[in-house]
Amino acid sequence: MNFFLKKLLIVIPTLYIAWTVVFVTLNIIPGDPVNLMLGGRPASDEVRENVRKNLGLDKPVLERYGSFLVNATKGDLGKSYLTRQPVTKMIKENMMPTIELSIGGLIFGVFFGVLFGIFAGTKPNSIRDTISMIIALCGISLPSFWIGMMLIYIFGTTLGWVPIVGDGFVSLILPSISVGLFFAGGMARLTRSSLVDVLNQDYIRTARSKGISKYNIILKHSLRNAMIPPVTLLGIQFGLLITGAVITEEVFARPGLGQLLLQAILAKDIPLVQALVVYMTAVYIFLNLVVDFTYGIIDPRIRLERKN
Amino acid sequence: MEDLLKVSNLNTEFKSDYGSKPALNNISFNIKEGEVLALVGESGSGKTVTSLSIMGLLPNNASVENGEIKLLSKKNKEINILNLSDEKHNEIRGNDISMVFQEPMTCLNPTMTVGEQILEVIIRHKKISKINAKKEMIGLLELVEIPDPIQRSIEYPHQLSGGMRQRIMIAIALACSPKLIIADEPTSALDVTIQAQLLELLKKLKNSIVTKTSILFITHDLGIVKELADRVIVMYQGKIVEEGNVLDVFENPKHSYTNNLIQSLPEFKIEKRKQNKIIKKETNNKNIILSIKNLYKEFPVDKGIFKQSSESVKAVQNVSLNVRQNKILGLVGESGSGKSTLGKTIIKLIEPTSGKINFKNQDISNFNRQKMQNIRQKIQMIFQDPFASLNPRKNILDTLMEPILVHKLMKKNEATEYIKQIIHDVGLPIESLIRFPHEFSGGQRQRIGIARALVLKPEFIIADEPVSALDVSIQAQVLNLLETIKETYNLTMIFISHDLSVIEYFCDEVAVMYLGHIVEMAPVNELFSNPKHSYTKALLSAVPKVKAKKTNKILIKGDIPSPINPPSGCVFRTRCPNPTHDCKEGNIQMGLIEVSPNHWVDQCCVNCH
Ligand SMILES: Nc1ncnc2c1ncn2[C@@H]1O[C@H](COP(=O)(O)OP(=O)(O)OP(=O)(O)O)[C@@H](O)[C@H]1O
Ligand code: SF4
Ligand SMILES: [Mg+2]
Repeated sequence: MNFFLKKLLIVIPTLYIAWTVVFVTLNIIPGDPVNLMLGGRPASDEVRENVRKNLGLDKPVLERYGSFLVNATKGDLGKSYLTRQPVTKMIKENMMPTIELSIGGLIFGVFFGVLFGIFAGTKPNSIRDTISMIIALCGISLPSFWIGMMLIYIFGTTLGWVPIVGDGFVSLILPSISVGLFFAGGMARLTRSSLVDVLNQDYIRTARSKGISKYNIILKHSLRNAMIPPVTLLGIQFGLLITGAVITEEVFARPGLGQLLLQAILAKDIPLVQALVVYMTAVYIFLNLVVDFTYGIIDPRIRLERKN
Repeated sequence: MEDLLKVSNLNTEFKSDYGSKPALNNISFNIKEGEVLALVGESGSGKTVTSLSIMGLLPNNASVENGEIKLLSKKNKEINILNLSDEKHNEIRGNDISMVFQEPMTCLNPTMTVGEQILEVIIRHKKISKINAKKEMIGLLELVEIPDPIQRSIEYPHQLSGGMRQRIMIAIALACSPKLIIADEPTSALDVTIQAQLLELLKKLKNSIVTKTSILFITHDLGIVKELADRVIVMYQGKIVEEGNVLDVFENPKHSYTNNLIQSLPEFKIEKRKQNKIIKKETNNKNIILSIKNLYKEFPVDKGIFKQSSESVKAVQNVSLNVRQNKILGLVGESGSGKSTLGKTIIKLIEPTSGKINFKNQDISNFNRQKMQNIRQKIQMIFQDPFASLNPRKNILDTLMEPILVHKLMKKNEATEYIKQIIHDVGLPIESLIRFPHEFSGGQRQRIGIARALVLKPEFIIADEPVSALDVSIQAQVLNLLETIKETYNLTMIFISHDLSVIEYFCDEVAVMYLGHIVEMAPVNELFSNPKHSYTKALLSAVPKVKAKKTNKILIKGDIPSPINPPSGCVFRTRCPNPTHDCKEGNIQMGLIEVSPNHWVDQCCVNCH
């Protein structure tokens, strides 16, 4: 467990750096939030000053920075400039759809990625390998908004198989595909190459010499060993999953954190943007911890190393 | 006795884009029930292809073209293996025929416990409950003499030593009481001491197996053949060139290849030398060219960024030795005993932790990089795998030219002539100079390695396992070459090897290392005829020999301990076959004393035995 304590110790500086970067960039970008709030309406200096004071923008930058960090650790991330509501509340209200979408994308990506990877990797350089890999390449290279639009056009508008808007499980299918396709492509390629590698290992030959069936050789002897690189990929690409969700929400006009973030940026709603980024980095780091933990489950050598 | 396996006219081919290349050429042989048949031959002669053909585990680009392999199955039915579907073959693999492979480090699945891996094969072929299978599994672990079997069964392969992993492989092979076990160089990757333990185990099993299991034992080591096998088959370039009883073949080889193979064994060459009364001159007090005093090397153990490391790997401990002009000092010991580290520390490829290194009356232990530059020209190293250190994109001329130009030894055209001379001296044709490393065989590459060490006109050479990767016959050639080179270039050498017969044949003096310490050091004849230290004695008796009479082996128990926490007192005490009370308690101090001229032994063993 020592290992995870160390990991947690690294989390704190990471969060600190991420939050600082957010704070600095938002304060460098030109544009006065007061102007944006007033929506371009002319206002007297006095009104402007009042608004400024209300928002706490009259204080020096360093002081704002300091109180932002202090409050953030307390879980208080301030109030939105636009709605005057606590940002944490806004985030909570918009969180669920995004989580649903991300999980949907993840499940789709992992399931089809691994499936295609096994399909291709168990018979390298065959026709089925080539076809699977071409599909995977498409998944990686086609932009997800375009895929989203094509999915809406084909399955929603033309065929009418699935509803495009509305809630519930069914309406989640197309957006999940559009988020997860990129993921699936990467997973498929990595699973394939890693599986090809594992199937050439000496211990697979040993398993065959024991009379173990082809099916069990893949299931029991190869997959676990082959999953280590794809799981790494998973950790690295969570960020992309979140980005994908943001774009996809826009394409499918779904509510969620993505929509919220977009509005907040356009309105230069600093507290809201800050809070969203803080949340997302925290989630990202947490998920990476989960991945690290998974390694240990997959590979006993790593588990042992951590114990010492 | 009945024939268990009949191989007739077997032809196996490898296919590539350039056409097909035969690997086995019409081979035929039988294995009788209960016999141990040895299959010997140099690398590439087709030993492994034969075994994989029988197992039906040939790689995708290889296939059996024609021939028959008939097996008498457990149900006493004769099956033609080659006609079986993959599913039917799976019924036989692990059940009627099983296999032990060469590489103990990689042939077990790293993500399954060793117990699971044994269980798997039991459950696959025997219709018994899981509980009974588990009992059998523990029984098998006991059979292959794994200490603490219940605990070990839930460990993963990387937690076991090479020797133990190979025992696990043997347990897997024995699990279903097969009719035939194919063992492909099962001990080649292990130390002699561990090899001796395993051979002992195999002998015991051979005598105790009631079901008349036969063993096809593949090896390049004729000593093992003598020790273990009833009959032997000699393969050469995909053909069987000789077959017969082990004793007959060794006494009266019919084929010239077999004869050659036997004659090139160091063991036989030593014998011949003794007959011709060419006894190596005992070391006199000639000039000492290299002298090492109390040398230590400890590697700090990396514990990550959060912990300062307090532990260290004690790779070289208090080593003192002298090398005399024109002599060859052999360093021998098990893997991990610190031989290579000592070699590298001498030319400061590794910085020593403490101690003095005197080369030609200069203390070089504190020399900085620049000063070492001159010394490095005089002391050169030859490695086990020269290929790894040759630049694949440079031809041999450029490879050899580079160090000369770097050290500004001579001008380019002068150097070309000089290199031609050296290439000729190491027995390669001049055309080799314009060829690239991958175009050479293992033996030729080692000649290039030697040439590269020679170009700088060194006075001293440290050769780290220079012939260990080579086949016996090639090994003999390279050793001959080293010997001639030594004379013509007037060299002094340290020769590192784990192979005791090579050391005995080649060296003038020998130092035996164990866990970083030199435990015994003596002129070669003295050491081999009159070993004093318990470790040396056990090491010498572990070597399988073709000529040896059946003597009782002194077996060393267990594995070499961790060099991070070596045993207190005598480092060998945990494995010593006959420790005294004081040794067991760790009350012994280590340190060499001279028992007869130039014969140094660690003091404890002198006092108590
Ligand atoms: N760079 C290094 N860092 C840490 N430990 C090392 C390093 N090099 C060697 N060791 C350790 O030092 C000890 C001696 O190793 P060394 O390679 O000298 O043994 P050896 O006798 O040459 O073995 P072999 O016969 O396998 O070549 C071993 O325990 C090894 O793991
Ligand atoms: S000192 Fe004792 S323990 Fe060490 S080798 Fe000699 S007899 Fe064995
Ligand atoms: Mg070595």
